[in-house]
Amino acid sequence: MNGLLAYISRRLGLTLLILLAVSFTVYLIFALLPYDPASLTCGKSCNDPGIIEANRHRLGYDKPFFEQYWIFIVGLFAGRDFGEGAAALHCAAPSFGYSFQQHACVTDLIFDALPVTLSLAIGSLILWLIVGVGLGIVAARFRGKIWDTLSTAFVLVGTSLPTFLTGLMLIVFLVIKLDWSPFPAGGYTAPDEDIVGWFLSMVLPWVTLAFAYAAIYTRFVRSQIIEISTEDYIRTARAKGLSDGIILGKHTMRAALAPIVTMAGLDFAGLLGGAILTEAVFNLPGMGRLSLNAVVDIDLPVIVGTTIFAAAIVVIMNAILDIVYAFIDPRVRV
Amino acid sequence: MLKGKKSLKVALATLSAAALAGGLLTGCAPANSGGTITYLTQSEAWTHADPQRNYTGMHIAWFGSYLQRTLTAYDRKPGAEGSAVVPDLATDTGKATNGNKTWQFTLRDGSTFEDGSAITCEDVKYGVSRTFATDVITDGPTYAIGMLDIPTDPATGASTYKGPYSTDAANDTASFDKAITCSADHKTITFNLKRAVGDFNYTVTYLSFSPVPKAKDTGDQYDLAPVSTGPYKIKSYKTNDSMVLVRNDKWNKSSDPLRADRAFPDKVVVKFGQAAEVIDQILLSDKDKTAVSLDSLLPTNLSAVFDDKGEVLAKYKGRAINVYDPYVRYAAVNVKKVNCLPVRQAIYYGKNFQSLITLAGGQAFNGDPADGVIKPLMGLDYAKTGLGTNDKDWKPEGNVEKAKALMAQAATECPELYARATDPKRGLVYDIADTETNKKASAIWIESMTAIGITMKFNFIEAGKYYSVVLDATKQGDLSAGGWAPDWANASTVIPELFTAEGGFPMSQNWDDAAYAEFKKRSDANLTQPDRVKQGKEWAALNKYAMDQMWVIPGTFSKTQEIWGSKIGGAFFWEPQGALSFGDLFIQK
Amino acid sequence: MFSKEAEQKVTGHSPRELAWRRFKSNKVAIPSLVVALLVILAVILAPLIYSLLGIDPAARDEGALDNRGEVPGDWNGISAKHPLGVVPGIGYDLLARMLFGARVSFLIALASTAITVFLGLLMGIVGGYFRGRVDGVIGRFTDFLLAFPTFFMIIALSAPTIERMEKSGLIQGNEARILYLIIIFAIFGWPYLSRIIRSQVISIRERDFVLSARALGASNFRILVKEVLPNVWTPVIIYVSLSLPGYLSAEAVFSYLGIGVQPPMPTLGTIIADSTKYMMNNSVYFFIPSLALILLVLTFNLLGDALRDALDPKSEN
Repeated sequence: MNGLLAYISRRLGLTLLILLAVSFTVYLIFALLPYDPASLTCGKSCNDPGIIEANRHRLGYDKPFFEQYWIFIVGLFAGRDFGEGAAALHCAAPSFGYSFQQHACVTDLIFDALPVTLSLAIGSLILWLIVGVGLGIVAARFRGKIWDTLSTAFVLVGTSLPTFLTGLMLIVFLVIKLDWSPFPAGGYTAPDEDIVGWFLSMVLPWVTLAFAYAAIYTRFVRSQIIEISTEDYIRTARAKGLSDGIILGKHTMRAALAPIVTMAGLDFAGLLGGAILTEAVFNLPGMGRLSLNAVVDIDLPVIVGTTIFAAAIVVIMNAILDIVYAFIDPRVRV
Repeated sequence: MLKGKKSLKVALATLSAAALAGGLLTGCAPANSGGTITYLTQSEAWTHADPQRNYTGMHIAWFGSYLQRTLTAYDRKPGAEGSAVVPDLATDTGKATNGNKTWQFTLRDGSTFEDGSAITCEDVKYGVSRTFATDVITDGPTYAIGMLDIPTDPATGASTYKGPYSTDAANDTASFDKAITCSADHKTITFNLKRAVGDFNYTVTYLSFSPVPKAKDTGDQYDLAPVSTGPYKIKSYKTNDSMVLVRNDKWNKSSDPLRADRAFPDKVVVKFGQAAEVIDQILLSDKDKTAVSLDSLLPTNLSAVFDDKGEVLAKYKGRAINVYDPYVRYAAVNVKKVNCLPVRQAIYYGKNFQSLITLAGGQAFNGDPADGVIKPLMGLDYAKTGLGTNDKDWKPEGNVEKAKALMAQAATECPELYARATDPKRGLVYDIADTETNKKASAIWIESMTAIGITMKFNFIEAGKYYSVVLDATKQGDLSAGGWAPDWANASTVIPELFTAEGGFPMSQNWDDAAYAEFKKRSDANLTQPDRVKQGKEWAALNKYAMDQMWVIPGTFSKTQEIWGSKIGGAFFWEPQGALSFGDLFIQK
Repeated sequence: MFSKEAEQKVTGHSPRELAWRRFKSNKVAIPSLVVALLVILAVILAPLIYSLLGIDPAARDEGALDNRGEVPGDWNGISAKHPLGVVPGIGYDLLARMLFGARVSFLIALASTAITVFLGLLMGIVGGYFRGRVDGVIGRFTDFLLAFPTFFMIIALSAPTIERMEKSGLIQGNEARILYLIIIFAIFGWPYLSRIIRSQVISIRERDFVLSARALGASNFRILVKEVLPNVWTPVIIYVSLSLPGYLSAEAVFSYLGIGVQPPMPTLGTIIADSTKYMMNNSVYFFIPSLALILLVLTFNLLGDALRDALDPKSEN
């Protein structure tokens, strides 16, 4: 057990280091850009140097770079006040900053957008796992037969069709052309307001996103199964006369599970940063739209906040997966 | 995409014909109450919801219909009658004394904010005061600053009053309190102006003259949650998502005759951020029968709705229109950078008008070649300038020879600019909104400018941010696409706005030009010209003056196309706002 | 896919011949190779095709449009003069634009792939061969790069980076935009390849021929170049055939979002972005460029799969 603890603490330490490096780099990249962050805090008529300087001070852009970064990190854990006295704006921990353009704490903006992206990511994850793993198994079992060819065709179309085309075509041909279509042409309904409306508004985005991912999973699962079935213990099982179904269910899939879960975990984490194209096509106010609009408006606090948030999810998910494997498979700990 | 403003009270014969063809008479159907009207738009949010910051005709029409009342308003009627000013919060359209330098309005009894508190003179005064806080309340019209009798700093020309947020001890609140006074019963508001303004009752139709309760003012953030005075109030407003309006139960019908019998739907929803193509398809297929597009139809979808001549096809009769809007479109030349007349003229002659207009959908949809910045519909203020179709050297497809001759002239007259304009590495920069159609237009511009030896580069700016970039003198390129409509039927809201340093839309930056001093003198004098006919002639002459200097490259007298769902009734084009009269829309049962 | 007999028959041939035989026996391999070569040829020889067919990517044929910029008829004006019709609104020849656009798209995809391969090979080989601290540093660095939301970083950095490049005075306009895409694709692309190469190199360095070379006193450099490098070409070839279509469709995606090359220069992506506006109104114009992209991506994917099966039979058998 000591080995496990040592591994976990090493892994967590490493995660922390990478997180620090990523957040520092993001902060640095955007600080080096040829923008004056203070004059970006207001619109065109913000030519009044007094206002710009006041905002510069409020947002801490008047401090040296390292101090700014340090304040940012402290704000993540302790919350942060922008400005002093009665006019101060407070953002509670974890504070990712304050957007003057949107008049809101970046953390609030992220937490507004996150449920939308979560809805999208969870639904499409389920869908692509069912379709991808299912088709992958079918293709592997009926290797070289018609089912294999069909699933290959699915994979190739799925990987070669850009998401925005899939989405646009679904909207046009399944929503607008069909009079009886129950799906809306875009927009998000919160599940606590109208659960059926939420489901209907999410179906097409789920399908669009899942289509692209399912293709990758089909191919991956197929090759995993084929590779595992050549291993000795499967051959032994077959020699013992166990049926193909039992071998697949009991032995092959168990071995294939780990890599599939790893891949799914990482893809899922990546999606929480925002599925920009799907969200844009279906007009979903999620993380992708939040960050894309921030880029268009050069809303620096939001850009920095969402980027660091997205990177953190990926890094943390990576660590979780590694640690879970360390529990399951002692060899990993070395 | 264009800075919107308002237009004319003159009768528009052509427009009425188009209006009839567009089936505007559906207003005759019985008006039904109830239901939800859904507006669709590509924008991520309203440019502004704060009344003092709204300036686009379409936005004034929308917010004015549902949420914001003003002292006076344009009558909500189709055709020329829509341009008549009627009382709204005030009991009449104002009393002018002191040679049009003092204007007085009396508020109606029973008008309230959405929390039920009565609207007083002080609320209107406070609303107007916010206009002066140009550091916080950005983008709105500045007529109050220009007209109210408040001293200006002789050095900067800025008003000595800086609005209600200023903590500066030198803030000239005393002068503001003298410029707007309230009667003891809080009912009568008096405006004291620094010069005679005969049509000040048109000026106060602007939302910037609407009341704001001081206690509820949140400065910059008021833009997210303005307090309603109209028949609806904001239930929710989320950028990138939607705005939902519900009935304002504190709204007193009897004190609002303009909107009294026309607050039809129970709910009004705006869906933001829809893809342009999807909006068009929803409306073309009538998928959502109670939807209305806030955006113009894409040029690529015009043929589905209109025939070659621009008439509505039978299938869409009664739910689409193709009309002249109040705008003139042009390419403003940054005269500070392009400080050489022959170069500006070469661009004008070299431009391939024909291809650009074909790309935008053809003349039946995009409008006619313009000869200046005043539309012929302006009547009194319009006269031919001799450009465009009246210029024998001008050719729709571009006159390469003439343009080349002018460039040769420029080579000797202004070698420095000539060298930059013709250098493939530098060239001239044209600012334009980032749309697919404009991307294609840039290719046509580059082609025609290359033919006359000019290197043209394009700066594509996100459509929603376009004007905030190009109106910033430090960020503007050499040319910028622009569009302007008169704020009311007097070119005093065009010529000085576009071409004087104090104007609200000075994209030409022409005040260093040798010809400016003379122009400015005549323009200032004409603002107080009491004889309207003489004033009109002078505006027409100044329009020609600006065109002779080529301070803008004229574009089109433009048109617009609107579409709505088949269950929407009551739609008509509200001429002074250049938009549908949103408040008259209802759901047909 | 291969019977045991077939395997046995081919024993005694060189690995290259073995691979070629396996490749030939794959039903889609040869057709996709032929299509891929034809496409590459067409892209390289585009100017020749223009003059053969009498088309010109810069010429606008406004006679092919009606007075509101639309193409008369249902087939987007497909004729002998315009083999794939014209671009509505502006009157360019669609085939000529697509060929020109494909040249730009391929330039971006090929250059990104080349840099990705160079960096991935270098880092993968160095890390895998030397192991230890060097490997650790490279490994952490790839972790670090892979943690970034790539897609988003490419968008966020585009405007300011291109502005900087232009201000440097060395590179302007579309050249700067193309260079940006190439560099940024490569920066975020190489870690994937380097991981594959690293694991390959780790197994190679323990093989007999490497051990004996080392025993004979060969320098590390000599071993890397003479022994290791020739043995990692298989994953590289597979990677190239799969990343090429990946970068082609990435270019389309970023063009759709408005990042990338500006008019009048076309790319496949900008043509597709424009064509989505005509989905209902001119479906022929909408489908042709999209189908072309799908076909391209499909071809290179199929080719990549066939190469993998041929070069690396373990992944299948």
